[in-house]
Amino acid sequence: MIHLSQVIGRPVRDQNGESIGKVADLIVAVGERYPPVTGLVIATDRRKIFLPWSSVATLDIGGARLNTSQLDITKFRQRQNEILLKDNLLDKQIVDIDGRRVVRVNDVSLDEVEGSLRLVAVDVGAAGLLRRLGIEGPYRTLARGLRRPAGERYIDWEDVDPLESTIEAVKLRVPHAGLAELHPADLATIIDQLTPRDRAGLLASLDDEAVADVIEEMEPESQVDVLEELKPDRAADILEEMSPDDAADLVADLSDTARAEILSLMDKTEAEEVRELLGYPEETAGGIMTTEFIAVPATLTAAQTIDRLRELEPDAETIYYVYVVDDEGRLVGVLSLRDLIVAKPDSPIGEVMIDEPVAVGVLDHQREVANLVARYNLLAVPVVDDEGKLEGIVTVDDTLDSLLPVGWKSHLPKRFPGSAR
Amino acid sequence: MTAPPRGGGPVGPSPLRFGRRARLAAVLAVLGPGIVSGFADNDAGGITTYSLTGARFGYELLWVLLVTQFALFITQEIGARMGLATGQGLAGLIRERFGVRWAAFAAVTMLAANLGTTVSEFAGIAAGLSLFGVPVPIGAAIAAVAVITLMSLGSFSRVQYVFVGIGVIVSVAYVVSAVLAKPDWALAAKGLVPSGAFSGAYMLAVVGTVGTTITPWGQGFIQAYVVDKRLRPEELPAERIDVLIGSLIANIVGAFIMVACAATLWATGHFVIADAGQAARALGPIGGDIAVGIFAIGILAASLLGLGVVPLSSAYTACDTFGWERGVGWRWREAPAFYGLLAFFIGFAALFMLIPGLPLIQVMFSAQVINGLLLPVILVFVMLLAGDKRLMGKLVSGRINLALGWTVTALLVVMSLVLVVTAFSG
Repeated sequence: MIHLSQVIGRPVRDQNGESIGKVADLIVAVGERYPPVTGLVIATDRRKIFLPWSSVATLDIGGARLNTSQLDITKFRQRQNEILLKDNLLDKQIVDIDGRRVVRVNDVSLDEVEGSLRLVAVDVGAAGLLRRLGIEGPYRTLARGLRRPAGERYIDWEDVDPLESTIEAVKLRVPHAGLAELHPADLATIIDQLTPRDRAGLLASLDDEAVADVIEEMEPESQVDVLEELKPDRAADILEEMSPDDAADLVADLSDTARAEILSLMDKTEAEEVRELLGYPEETAGGIMTTEFIAVPATLTAAQTIDRLRELEPDAETIYYVYVVDDEGRLVGVLSLRDLIVAKPDSPIGEVMIDEPVAVGVLDHQREVANLVARYNLLAVPVVDDEGKLEGIVTVDDTLDSLLPVGWKSHLPKRFPGSAR
Repeated sequence: MTAPPRGGGPVGPSPLRFGRRARLAAVLAVLGPGIVSGFADNDAGGITTYSLTGARFGYELLWVLLVTQFALFITQEIGARMGLATGQGLAGLIRERFGVRWAAFAAVTMLAANLGTTVSEFAGIAAGLSLFGVPVPIGAAIAAVAVITLMSLGSFSRVQYVFVGIGVIVSVAYVVSAVLAKPDWALAAKGLVPSGAFSGAYMLAVVGTVGTTITPWGQGFIQAYVVDKRLRPEELPAERIDVLIGSLIANIVGAFIMVACAATLWATGHFVIADAGQAARALGPIGGDIAVGIFAIGILAASLLGLGVVPLSSAYTACDTFGWERGVGWRWREAPAFYGLLAFFIGFAALFMLIPGLPLIQVMFSAQVINGLLLPVILVFVMLLAGDKRLMGKLVSGRINLALGWTVTALLVVMSLVLVVTAFSG
């Protein structure tokens, strides 16, 4: 295995041993698991020239040896799928997918795989840093006394997600396939550390639902920032993917004009739900409820109700209770998912449901909602209007927020002392 | 290797922001980085340096502040613009553009200057407390506890406005005091034109004054602040106003401190300031008997504002350079290098105060001279980056801006060289 830093600046000799310049950069073609080296950039006295890898006989820490003395001095043009290891990768930031962190590339490791020299890993450890700084030797002498060798840390290229600012140089669309697999909470942490450009590139590669999940995991101020960086129609699409209560909380923090624009771009019914939620004061049940819930008439059987659930594919947070409503939409009963499953398939749910369920009014204070949820150990509580009509539900996670002291989450500046917003 | 330009509105104009851009509101929303940076420039070292200079040279060096007004605006505007264009901190940009060795060199330079500044802020707190009869070692301990408390509170963004507020009061006190002291305005006007003998002490005062106004950390600070506030390229006009206000505050207040000292100390033949008590006499015309109190509170607030910024900024710079986790959002175990550096800065400065018989005023002044000497190194990197079209995109410095920036840098290099030469030639 050789490191990029060990070959950069080394002499390049032709077939006859004549020195013609120094190694300036190596070119790899990305796409394969381990990208093969496809060319060499040589710094000669006057300018940089490019050589295809087929003209290179050997490359090691002593330098490069060519198998030709004929130099084709065509100007180098970077092709679509090629990256220059020194120019585009070294010292840049990448995402370590496995470690879920944003790190800087200290060095690049190359090795012989399947008969060709390939980019196999990036070095992000202290050892690589010392090597680059040229103080690996002195440190080793020192470390022997201290018994603390410099930490070596490599990230297999397969686990590397090069960011837009790296790859943009070659106009390659980064698929970010590895990142899309991460848990939204991890992805949210990573996105928070990226530059606006990298953030935009990453968000562009994810589908609307994935972006919605990521945004829901972010701190409130970051949510607004990220949303504002998106094109309005994309932002509208993403808000449609979020549960209406989360979407409403987010939209509430936008400026009036931005809010109006984004709501006009959203799907009519979704926008209507969000508008309705925006009408309730923030600290009331209406302000924290979601309008996504499952309501069925009392006449359905347990089996029919389960079929209905399959059809609706409700979100995780709303599936635990099935609410039973009359013809006018008034709440008459509730069934837990457990009740539903253990009930005989053909029994009407009107018979197995709990009558007169616990409910809160839309204008009840969120503290009362939290108390109720705690007292009855509920996962969600239904919210009804003056006439007893079911308007929405408050899930347990949303009641927790009201119990935390105000501003608790936004207490810590994220990166720098001055982050006053 | 033609690459499309990076930065410069990478995300495109975002219509969603338009709601915020009702003129005055837009400026107000952006205000902060330049102004806080401007107030932090008048930290303990700043007040001390302007005072020493005013007492020693009277109105003669006022011209330096005219030059720094111009230079500070140019450099801070470039820093802010780089933050807007790239969304990245200065250290990270240096690493990406010049490689790890140059980045390490820049980081070491920055850290050396910042270590001096941190020591200077500690000396400021010790000097301020000494006016209330607190011994220096206890003052240092109080300073260390105060800064750690500040950071663990985690809400420096809010606390900073308290210090800025005190800064405003003290600034006004100096302005009023300067006027009440009935300075020789004709002589002051004459001081706006460079004159005088190029003695070693003169050059030292020039470099110190420049070094306390335009600082390496201030360059990193404004860029990081702009990035952290997630300001966008289209907010550049508003940010320029912010930078202009900040630089005016720093220099006008500096000038009035100098005038106040010239009218009270220099005019009465007190050319040397040996301790904080003597520096406080410049506030005599307004404060009378409580001049010492005003001065003490002012220098304490100024030091704390500096301490809230400089050590964090230093740890941030080093970690950004080497790609380590940084920021107080991480836990101790997640970002050991970041917290280790913070601890080192605070520990070093606190221990430095324990040197018996430490001349606090001289320590503060020397730190500003060190800053002034190291500043050109950082500015060269800044200017090289500012002219890089690939990095800055549409916000790249134009020809005039580059010429001005390089002129400032060249002036500072010459100034530092002259100081070194005069120092060696005795």
